[in-house]
Amino acid sequence: MIGRLLGHPRALWARREMLANLVSRELKARYKGSLLGLCWAILTPLFMALVYVFFLRLLARGIPLETVLIGVFAWQFTANCVQSGLTAVTGNANLVKKVFFPRQVLPLAGTLANTVNFLLSLGVQTVLLAFLLGARGEAIPPRAALALVVLVYHGLFNYGLSLWLAAANVYFRDVQHLVGVLLTAWFFASPAMYDLSMVAQVTAGRPGLYDLYLCNPMALIITAYRALFLPDAVFPWGWNLLPAALLPLLLLLGGGLLFQRAQRNFADYL
Amino acid sequence: MEPVISARQLGKCYRMRGLGPPTLFGALKETLRRRPPNLFWALRDVSFDIPAGRTVGVIGPNGSGKSSLLGLVTGTIQPTRGAVRTHGRISSLLELGAGFHPDLTGRENVFLNAAILGIAREDIRRRMDAIAEFAGLGEFLEMPVKHYSSGMYVRLGFAVAVEVDPDILLIDEVLAVGDLAFQLRCLDRIRDFQRRGKTILLVSHALQTVEEFCHEALLIHHGRVVASGPPPDVILEYIRHYMGEGGYLYTQEFGTRAVEFEQVTLRDGAGVETGVFTAGQALHVDIAYRCAQRIERPVFGYSLKTGNGLYLYGSNTQLAGYELPAIEGAGVIRLTLDPLPLLAGNFFLSLSVHSWDHAIQYHRREDWYPFAVRNPTQEPGLVRLAGTWSQPPAG
Repeated sequence: MIGRLLGHPRALWARREMLANLVSRELKARYKGSLLGLCWAILTPLFMALVYVFFLRLLARGIPLETVLIGVFAWQFTANCVQSGLTAVTGNANLVKKVFFPRQVLPLAGTLANTVNFLLSLGVQTVLLAFLLGARGEAIPPRAALALVVLVYHGLFNYGLSLWLAAANVYFRDVQHLVGVLLTAWFFASPAMYDLSMVAQVTAGRPGLYDLYLCNPMALIITAYRALFLPDAVFPWGWNLLPAALLPLLLLLGGGLLFQRAQRNFADYL
Repeated sequence: MEPVISARQLGKCYRMRGLGPPTLFGALKETLRRRPPNLFWALRDVSFDIPAGRTVGVIGPNGSGKSSLLGLVTGTIQPTRGAVRTHGRISSLLELGAGFHPDLTGRENVFLNAAILGIAREDIRRRMDAIAEFAGLGEFLEMPVKHYSSGMYVRLGFAVAVEVDPDILLIDEVLAVGDLAFQLRCLDRIRDFQRRGKTILLVSHALQTVEEFCHEALLIHHGRVVASGPPPDVILEYIRHYMGEGGYLYTQEFGTRAVEFEQVTLRDGAGVETGVFTAGQALHVDIAYRCAQRIERPVFGYSLKTGNGLYLYGSNTQLAGYELPAIEGAGVIRLTLDPLPLLAGNFFLSLSVHSWDHAIQYHRREDWYPFAVRNPTQEPGLVRLAGTWSQPPAG
């Protein structure tokens, strides 16, 4: 059961060298050709955050930069995993058709490469936050270290997503177009460039709607990062967070089972 | 002894989906139309056993199911019917450079590829110099592989793949790449594998290679094994019955047909019609011809090529000083090669008949008549040269 949940860890452990090599291939290949190298991993979400803050000011919604920064950085991790998950198998068609190995290695390598990326951007985020908060005489609370626990959960969620998308995209090649559209919708439905207080405002008087909004695991994850990094943020504990907390685990379990079944015919469809 | 590779009623069926990659819309359309899926059996009812240490060649026209068979043995594709069982570590030389990343250097790709093939990092680090040397890359090893020539790419892939040290080696047509020197080195490696008692399954269109390396050959046609046994016999069967369909050798026929070959019969020394000859014994070719009119001073010619298309020898009645004043009606002319100087292999005989001044081709059949030669002696090579040894007195 646990084994299935994680996608056959023994087989994956036996292939850890391959996994490590694929992760470093991802990372090296991503940053080798570009001048600023790894900087792009951080600059992209940073620019995005600045753009959102600017537009939100225009819309007279004063969302502090720190809040948007945390949201967009965390969102970027998931968005990257969705992208790498989609192409995890189809992009390695040559390998899948010709070499036998547990195929779970491919989406896992993509997720891990993005995790390394995210860890680096978390470092930058911490520095930026310290600077922004310091300007107001505040500091990052020590509990921010717990962000690593959230990160593990976030990573498992992303891996589950990758498993689904990687398998689906082999059988139906237009999944990637569909996902492109859905990803944009999901971004606006997640509290990346706003926070839960704004959602509470909009859904005031309709608590059912607010609870539905909270079913989105990204709402939970982003809010958790904020509650850890920002000194005056409070985590909205409540039973209405339970669906969002369980969903990633179900996704991972289902994704593991589906991927294991689907991978038998991968070579036929590539 | 227990077979290392054993296939039982192996079948692989593909669902034909038309052109282009599969899509959600396509699947929806299919479901709405409720058409029965278009099935294609790439392999059907294939059974064989390969004992340890044997080298087996798989031949057949393009699209006959050879690559599907290798895929099934590797485990990359799943059988629709039956099963294939293998014992020991498998490495396939069908993925030369699969998984190479264009932006990484040769060295980085060696580590990556080795990890994919399941070789420990330490082993590769120790063997790095040998790999680089075998691939003949020199300072290019530190360059991104996107700048490599296709030959360098494949050489590096091969150099890594043979480091796996498998029990079973699968080879798919990879020996056709690279320059001659590299090909020879590859063949050398394969011989080395054979000496060390590895089991090899080799798919090739180069019949000469199959002939030379394999203990046994399987002929696959339309997904079924139609012949198996000693390579020369199977190859001859292939050439005779199936080569027309997309084979690599191009037979052709032309001429004015003022003289026409009616029937050509290959006979051995005892006069028995056959397709398999013995090195050093006689080979007779009886050419029955028919003339539309009287032809003055015709010239009959022949040439021989190896299974790989290498031109071996050609001659004709004019060069041989066998002048025919005139022919008319029907007749037979016999070509005799005695002793046959060819050693083991598959060969093609071309025949022609033309005018004395070579201006008019009456009838020409290029690579039309295949035959095989078996060599009972241990002499290696293509032809027997009449060499003698002696010890000349000193002085």
